[in-house]
Amino acid sequence: MSTADQLSAAFSALADPTRRAIVARLARGEATVTELAKPFAISQPAISRHLKVLERAGLISRGRDAQSRPCRLEVRRLKEATEWMNRYRAHWEASFDRLDNLLTDMKQEKTHANGK
Amino acid sequence: MQTGNERTQNPELHLSRVFDAPRSLVWEAWSKAEYVKRWFTPAPLTTPRCEVDLRTGGVFYLVMKMPDGLELPMDARFVEVVPQERIVFSATIHGGVEVHTTVAFSDEGDGKTRLDVHQVYSHESDATRGAPQGWKATLDQLAEVVRSIR
Repeated sequence: MSTADQLSAAFSALADPTRRAIVARLARGEATVTELAKPFAISQPAISRHLKVLERAGLISRGRDAQSRPCRLEVRRLKEATEWMNRYRAHWEASFDRLDNLLTDMKQEKTHANGK
Repeated sequence: MQTGNERTQNPELHLSRVFDAPRSLVWEAWSKAEYVKRWFTPAPLTTPRCEVDLRTGGVFYLVMKMPDGLELPMDARFVEVVPQERIVFSATIHGGVEVHTTVAFSDEGDGKTRLDVHQVYSHESDATRGAPQGWKATLDQLAEVVRSIR
């Protein structure tokens, strides 16, 4: 998957409130499906489906223990998503620097035009 | 349904800048492709294509070109345009993530103009559920999560 596709998968996965809550829970430490299902009014199979989406997006990984398969957060992918956000901020800051320069130029151009 | 908690979340991206130019001039810099080309894309990216139809429903299309030749198109639409007051545009990126940007113009006195940019991220599935606020809260939460585990 390209970086853009990976980000897209991460963003899609995180668009769901239940999955966001799961991610928030896993930020506090590993948990099993049973533990994750507890605070939600949905079944374990439903939680498992959410976990699959998160796993495919690379946001979580599952342990090998066949019984409990504890889930853990993949911090790197989460960081990528937030860094992507920060780039947007940087984009605006840089664009506004350029807008500042352009406005100075525009003012000068208008002064010249009016001075004729 | 939105929960109260989601609604009180801070906006995803908010930044302001004061420019030493009157509102009419700042508006002009937004309203013509020839100007937008000169500032909207940060260096070292260039803008080989740019279309700006600054009115409600108008097209806001530009292609940003990376130094390695990769072209990144932004295909947006002006959702709301109030001359010298407000520009709202919306674009879909990364296969389904919708970026909704509001730019508010205000006087700062002494011929200065302030721009407030407010960018909200929503996802199609959120929007269809009528809860676009959910997504905008997400990345704030994620940022917090990342900070807490760093």
